[in-house]
Amino acid sequence: MYMFKYIMKRLGLMLMTFLIIMIMCFVLIKLLPIVINVSIGQDADIIKAQIEARGYYDPIPVQFVNYIKRIFQGDFGIGVNMPEYRNQPVLDVFLEKLPPTILINIYSVLISVPVGLGLGILAALKKNKWQDHTISTAVMIVISVPSYVYAFLIQYLFCFELGWFPLTMNSGYDYFSPSMFLSMLPAVFSLSFGSIAGYARFTRAELTEVLTSEFMLLARTKGLTRSQATVRHALRNAMVPIFPMIIGEFISVLSGSLVIEKIFAIPGVGKLYLDSINTQDYDFFMMLSGFYTFVGLAAGIVIDISYGIIDPRIRMGAK
Amino acid sequence: MNKPLKKMMTLLIIVAMVFTTVFSLVACKKDEQQGLDGHKHTWSEWTTEYDNSYKCSGGVSHRTCSICGTTQTKDVKPSHIKGDDGKCIYCGVVVYYTNSTYTAVSPSNWNELTYQDNNDTQIFYNLISSFFEFDYKFDEEGEIIPGAFEVEYSAATKLEDVTAQYADKYGYADGATGYAWKITLRNDLKWNDGTAIKAEDFVYTMKEQLNPLFRNYRADSFYNSGTVIHNAQGYAKQGLKVDETVSNLFSGIAEAKKAGYTDIYLDMNAVNAAFAEWFGGTYAQVKGAGMLDQYFTMYDENGQSLGQNFFAKYDLEKVSDKVEEQQILVTDEMIADYGKCKDWNPDPDVEVAMLSVIKNYVYPEVSFDDVGIFVGNNEYELVLCLDKAIPLLKEDGSLSYMAAYQLSSLPLVKKDLYEACKQAPVQGSTLWTSNYNSSVETTASWGPYMLTSFQSGKEYVLEKNPYWYGYTANLYEGQYQTDRIVCETIGEWETAWLKFQKGEIDGITIDVTIANDYKGSDQAYFTPTDFVSSFQLQSSEEALKNRESAGVNKTILTYTEFRKALSLGIDRAEFANSCTTSSLAGFGLYNSMHYYDVENGGAYRETDAAKQVLCNVYGIDVSKFASLDDAVDSITGYDLAQARELVNTAYDKAIADGKMKEGDKVVLVWGTAVDNESTRRTYEFVKNAWTNLMVGTKLEGKFELNFDASFGDNWANDFRSGAYDVCAGGWTGAAWDPGYFLLAYLSPDYMYSTAWDTSAQQMTFTMPVKQEDGTYKDTELTMSLMDWYNCLNGIAGSAYDWSANAVDQDTRLPLIAALEEQVLLAYYTLPMYNDYSASLISFKADYISYEYNTFMAYGGLRYMQYNYTDSQWAEFVSSQGGQLNYK
Repeated sequence: MYMFKYIMKRLGLMLMTFLIIMIMCFVLIKLLPIVINVSIGQDADIIKAQIEARGYYDPIPVQFVNYIKRIFQGDFGIGVNMPEYRNQPVLDVFLEKLPPTILINIYSVLISVPVGLGLGILAALKKNKWQDHTISTAVMIVISVPSYVYAFLIQYLFCFELGWFPLTMNSGYDYFSPSMFLSMLPAVFSLSFGSIAGYARFTRAELTEVLTSEFMLLARTKGLTRSQATVRHALRNAMVPIFPMIIGEFISVLSGSLVIEKIFAIPGVGKLYLDSINTQDYDFFMMLSGFYTFVGLAAGIVIDISYGIIDPRIRMGAK
Repeated sequence: MNKPLKKMMTLLIIVAMVFTTVFSLVACKKDEQQGLDGHKHTWSEWTTEYDNSYKCSGGVSHRTCSICGTTQTKDVKPSHIKGDDGKCIYCGVVVYYTNSTYTAVSPSNWNELTYQDNNDTQIFYNLISSFFEFDYKFDEEGEIIPGAFEVEYSAATKLEDVTAQYADKYGYADGATGYAWKITLRNDLKWNDGTAIKAEDFVYTMKEQLNPLFRNYRADSFYNSGTVIHNAQGYAKQGLKVDETVSNLFSGIAEAKKAGYTDIYLDMNAVNAAFAEWFGGTYAQVKGAGMLDQYFTMYDENGQSLGQNFFAKYDLEKVSDKVEEQQILVTDEMIADYGKCKDWNPDPDVEVAMLSVIKNYVYPEVSFDDVGIFVGNNEYELVLCLDKAIPLLKEDGSLSYMAAYQLSSLPLVKKDLYEACKQAPVQGSTLWTSNYNSSVETTASWGPYMLTSFQSGKEYVLEKNPYWYGYTANLYEGQYQTDRIVCETIGEWETAWLKFQKGEIDGITIDVTIANDYKGSDQAYFTPTDFVSSFQLQSSEEALKNRESAGVNKTILTYTEFRKALSLGIDRAEFANSCTTSSLAGFGLYNSMHYYDVENGGAYRETDAAKQVLCNVYGIDVSKFASLDDAVDSITGYDLAQARELVNTAYDKAIADGKMKEGDKVVLVWGTAVDNESTRRTYEFVKNAWTNLMVGTKLEGKFELNFDASFGDNWANDFRSGAYDVCAGGWTGAAWDPGYFLLAYLSPDYMYSTAWDTSAQQMTFTMPVKQEDGTYKDTELTMSLMDWYNCLNGIAGSAYDWSANAVDQDTRLPLIAALEEQVLLAYYTLPMYNDYSASLISFKADYISYEYNTFMAYGGLRYMQYNYTDSQWAEFVSSQGGQLNYK
């Protein structure tokens, strides 16, 4: 019951926060001066008339009300200023571009979580031995180098020299075909390296600390084997901070990677949000702001709740 | 048969043969002149047969003129001949050619009515056809004549000047030509679904183009450009409330008042627009140059000065700081006062109308029936009535270059599809929009290719449009080999480069990072542009002085000797080689892409006048050379010894003038928009060159060039306002009108050296002046550079008219050269290199020629010839180990 109340309260707060953020986004983007680009010899009257006819000169509250009405009619608007999406419905563009981004990031998570955790656990269990030193050194190297460097290396070595994968992602919408999967792998690997290193380092640090806790000594003195104590007690405790990190990773799954998508020609959402701000494409900006804000807020609640699942001692909302 | 009859028959046969021969030759000549889609002695128009030796591996072709019967033999490149079944008629292999390309930014809106940038044109240029288009000019051997061009009929079969026919309706003057044109369309034009295209489709499209509910982005293409369709502006802007310049609507103030408009104001925006046309600058700039008194001082009836100029009495600046509020009600007294400005008031009522607006003018409703485009006497005749004459035909009746340049085509949308794509205004908007030509489903083609696949941000595919007339027209025989165009969106050049080496794309630009390895490749080709990259030196003494500090001098830059020294201190060839992929040293404001006489292929830089300018500026004594060409070829623009002397001269002068103290250091700021590898590379080169220049001079060890990349997108305006001292900047555009292009270097609106007063700088020159009897007499005149410019371009109010409409191009040429020389001798603009882009084309295909032609480039897809079919190409790439070596 405590939990239900807590969730409802959080949902209510989330809705309120969402509305405030959306209003702020709308007002702030509309406060920016309207950019009117008129080339030499062009009739500025027509350009200004077009902007006026779109209602961009109306008072901001009036524009906001109109925008809300449109949203409830299911109309998220069309692209206006972004060169790649002019006159295209923003929702359609976003939905068309979301699958490749999600798939590549999910594949990356599916690879990096087990590998990262595995390496972290191994390093923790073999602390200060050659395995730990090797893993830690590799992790430091990988973390220090930006992901686009791996991307170029992977592309050059595996795609160009060895020819194991295509240089760019295949075109088309058959996202689950073997050839499409193969064409996604270079990007997946490029994204995975950093994550694997991150998980490994974090897991090693957490697990190392837990393994030296007094309750671990107690567990061993109670007669548990080392592996029993590690799996049942140490790992579970160590996962309390690690698990939210994994869930947090899923949020970034939806936002894509600007650089990786560019290198492997992935038609994803990586640069949509940034471009919408740079070009003041209002409808794109508002829809993306709404989407990412909602996902971010919802993920916050899910992460909080997840603490209770990982560690039963944690009860949200309990007094 | 008796003898006389036999003789008569023989005579008749001889006469018939002679007549037939003469007729054939005349027919050949006539058709060539008219450029009909029939016979011409060009390679594409011959009937071609291949002998038995031609088996996809090269051989010999025999061609026969279908009219006069002339036959010729020619060696041909190995190539398959595609039969109706898509297989080679000789070897039977499947012949399918794919052109694989890439783009950094995906197109999204290839609607001719609304497209906004070059990303969109890459698709729609393949979906449309031209009424008239440029083509190579071939000699009798079928070889391309370098630099030459022809203009041919394509989607149209006939063009007639019908100005006289519509003179009454549209008020054209007696004897006027070039205003009304009748275009006869081919009767086999079709959409890619087989629907016929007729003249009414173009009329419908123009109605939609100008539809005021849409405020289409390209609506002004038909009233704010060289093609001004009668009433197009009125139709497009109906219902729009604007402050409209009186002269755009009425011939004068009186007429406007007669029409009932009383809210007429002298307006700063209108004044600026009029001044830009008259003087090449804004009101503030003209005032700053002291020209208000020169032109607008008021005089009494006796010719005595009233001691006040018109704009001092009606001072718009006093009203408000906001330009849009700088308006003063136009009164009869104001018009009368304007009439007191002698030498500048042939009709004050008319001229004040150019300076005034009707406030909140609402464009009235206009029926499309009153717009100057309609169907002619039959369904394939399209009539255009213009407000501005265009000479689309030459005197001999053939197409002029203007036909392909100004009216190559008109926009065309497929009516039923376009209507279905219209989208009503959304909540809070009154703007209608359309998603026509934004996806496969919403796209229609009447050009050589049609869109068959489109994935936003990833890839589009174009394939041959089976209904395109060109595939069965003699004009295009043997052309458009490409069956399919696949374009992938690749944002990263490095990725595209790897794909090119894998044979996955067929062309790529050579980045400077690989230039040294690939510039010498057999597959490399170099494309000139009309851009001349230059260094600009700060012209404002005040700005330079303001940024000086103790021991730091900048005003030495105001000495011509110092600026010239900086110019001669750079090895341009080395600079171009080190800092660009393939550009070449440049010495003048113009390069080989600028044409002063397009019709006759007159490249400006090739003329003696233009060559002499370079010799004069760079101090070449022509008499020491065998020819002017040899003299020009000797120019390097690099003379360290002379440059060092000039540094010392400038230094001595600056000390003597008290502008500099002994021991002062000269510190200049090199400004740029961004800090990247390219801008750093340029800066480092120049810094080293100028530091080396100072060695052995009085400024040795006392010169610094500092880098500042903080100016961002506003770098040019910051430079003009004096924020820093040196920048790299140049101009592109107006390549076919070098006289107009001078505006960039002489007008305060555009020039970088804004403090260089071109309205005060005088030049004496001899030009033909029209006498009262209509003849021309060479006369030596002295005028300011700006006045010379105004006369050269026939700007209203200028003392003489040497515009292209008034005198021939050869008369204008020496004046263009003289003005170029003046700009170069000021040494505020230092030309550095003529821009060339370098590219690689894959082994898969070849352009018809690698000699760049201004009108045809390299022949494009139209003339592209393939060396491999798709399947052969895959085999070839595989045989090379999956990687191709283009070094």
